[in-house]
Amino acid sequence: MGLQKILQDIARHKWDYLFVLPKFAVFVAFIGVPVAWSVFISFQEFGVFQTRWVGLDNFRVAFEDDLFLIALKNTVWYALIVMPANVLIALVLASLIFPLSRKAQTFFRAAFYLPTVTSAVVIAMAWKYIYQPDVGLLNAFLRMLGASGRNWLGQSSTAMWSVIMMSILTPPGVGIIMYLAAMGSIPNEIYEAATVDGASGFQKWWRITVPLLKPTTLYLVVLGTIGSFQVFSQIMIMTRGGPGHATKVLVYLIYETAFRDMEFGLAGAYSLMLFAIIMVFAFIQFKYLNVNLEYY
Amino acid sequence: MKPRFLLVTTICVALLLALSTTVLGGAWKGTITIWDCPRWRDANDNQYHWMERKIAEFESSHPGVKIEMIKVPWAELAEKLNIAIAARDWPDMAPIDISGGTVKLDHIDQGVLEPIDPFFPKDELADFFPAALEGYTYKGKIWGVPQAMTVHALLLNLDIFKERGVEPPENGRWTWDEFVEKMKKLTFDRDGDGKIDVYGFSTYVLKGYHEIFPMLFMDGATWFDEARNWNLNTPEAVSALKKIAALKFEHKVTPQTMGTADVGGTFQAFANPEQRTVAVEPWASWAIATCLTSPKYKMNFMVAEYPIGKRGKPITISGTGGFVVFKQKDKGKLETLMEFVKSITTTADQLEFAKNYGTFPARKSAQEADPFADTPQMAFAAKMMEYTISVPRHKEFMQIDDRLQAELQLVFNGEKTPEQALEDAHRAIKRYLK
Repeated sequence: MGLQKILQDIARHKWDYLFVLPKFAVFVAFIGVPVAWSVFISFQEFGVFQTRWVGLDNFRVAFEDDLFLIALKNTVWYALIVMPANVLIALVLASLIFPLSRKAQTFFRAAFYLPTVTSAVVIAMAWKYIYQPDVGLLNAFLRMLGASGRNWLGQSSTAMWSVIMMSILTPPGVGIIMYLAAMGSIPNEIYEAATVDGASGFQKWWRITVPLLKPTTLYLVVLGTIGSFQVFSQIMIMTRGGPGHATKVLVYLIYETAFRDMEFGLAGAYSLMLFAIIMVFAFIQFKYLNVNLEYY
Repeated sequence: MKPRFLLVTTICVALLLALSTTVLGGAWKGTITIWDCPRWRDANDNQYHWMERKIAEFESSHPGVKIEMIKVPWAELAEKLNIAIAARDWPDMAPIDISGGTVKLDHIDQGVLEPIDPFFPKDELADFFPAALEGYTYKGKIWGVPQAMTVHALLLNLDIFKERGVEPPENGRWTWDEFVEKMKKLTFDRDGDGKIDVYGFSTYVLKGYHEIFPMLFMDGATWFDEARNWNLNTPEAVSALKKIAALKFEHKVTPQTMGTADVGGTFQAFANPEQRTVAVEPWASWAIATCLTSPKYKMNFMVAEYPIGKRGKPITISGTGGFVVFKQKDKGKLETLMEFVKSITTTADQLEFAKNYGTFPARKSAQEADPFADTPQMAFAAKMMEYTISVPRHKEFMQIDDRLQAELQLVFNGEKTPEQALEDAHRAIKRYLK
């Protein structure tokens, strides 16, 4: 499409573009410019009064930095467990809620969506209390059962698992709502035909519901992967990357590098690498999960 | 009147006014923006009352000068300031300890701060303790006005000592072996259910906090030796770290969370009347003031030195707090700012801080006024200043501290031996030492 054609298109749809403009301007100001700036500074040594071009030096430092590799390993580990678990829990919960009466559905939708509108910081603080070794709820419960408590967030062997458990046990409200909406659009005739053929309830769920929800699953998997790779507030509130570096994840490393160490160039390089990693995962997910469905 | 004549007259009047306020020595007028952090509470629970009073006094004696204060919690100061510096939108003045890394030495090299030397004649500087000035000296210039000094010390809950019939250390001084013996006696099952309720000792290991470091230094190690070589992988450091770790794993005189707990939880375990489950904890001097004056945490306690190891004398870590002035384009504003900084760091102000805020004066004249006549705990901690080691002046100290403390945490988790942790820390920080 040539420039002239683009301009003609804009002129033809000027009112449409005008209505889109405020949102687009906000996007450019608060997303586009910072992203472009972070790409720019990833090739710079950042100074207060001037920056200096250093080429790929920041990327070389990032690859040589053991902390980056530790953070990458922790992040991938977290994402590979939390994302599938959240999608699966959303699917199961939505499947259990869907057959209920409209009133019951509304109640459960609201109940499971509540954590989504609650600040992640508040949830993380509540879980920090649950994991507290002396007066925490989890250890109190274990002691009630006669077991001994643990320092859940203070031991490398349990800290990351504790954060992962928190992320899994916080209901995936968006996933549940999306799945419920998608289940509502599956034609009832398909289930009726399966019933006539003698399919059991589980067979109908496994052979009809799950495959027909694949586009929603793809959407949730991609969103879940991006969200899991960007895990930050739980780490910031609960462990600050410790003990040792047991819970150091990429976004927390980027935060420390930029706002504690003031190494904005290196933080920019980390960010670009995180972007590339997420892109690779998203590409693989689209390649293997993408499907076009049409109901006849 | 012709418009041209009117224009010329207006310009002449404006020039005259400008001359009168600059060349002819008139006072600068305008707005100064400062950041300050919470201090001690007044009757209205206001923790900014001291600075508000100082601002009001300055504004009334300097007509045309307005000072706007941005209130910043201590925990957010470093991060907010770093962002402000990166955006070149810094305040005119802030309460910064340059040795703590809140303002990086790189920033000073790049000209973010104003040196104070030109505004403080030698006779004025002579009233400050050399150690306090040293805290703000970098590359031969002084980059801030010291207001107060802090020190780390051991706080002893005397009620628990009495309950167990344990004598506190005579004159607050003890050897490591004496310390360990007393900690063993202070660890006990209070309610007879077979579980330990009260522990002798506890602390935390967190980046940016150095409560445990005087113990790490007790056998002769420090961060760097005199030739600026890394010193925390030496046999002296390993020996000290082994002894500290033994408190938890061999003598079992610490709670399970020792080394991994957070600051708030550790303090609550020591000072909260509903807990008070630890007999001895190391704290910076603010905790002394809190336990002396806070209605909630007031308790029967004494201050003692860190135990003496192979070094043969006690050791502690000190810090210097004060105010820095950020780069100014306007000379008149800079002079006014320096005047303001002087007005908030007087002998009277430092005395007020010493009595209410748990700090030690940076001015000799304030110390000579005997601010701790009624508080023997503060007086004792003040004497410990002669055994202090300061946090080293290193451009990458925050990263070094982060890597070191991460390894120390693993020792207190029981995941690494002291030798392994200190060796791994050395390997991790090598690139910052170049």
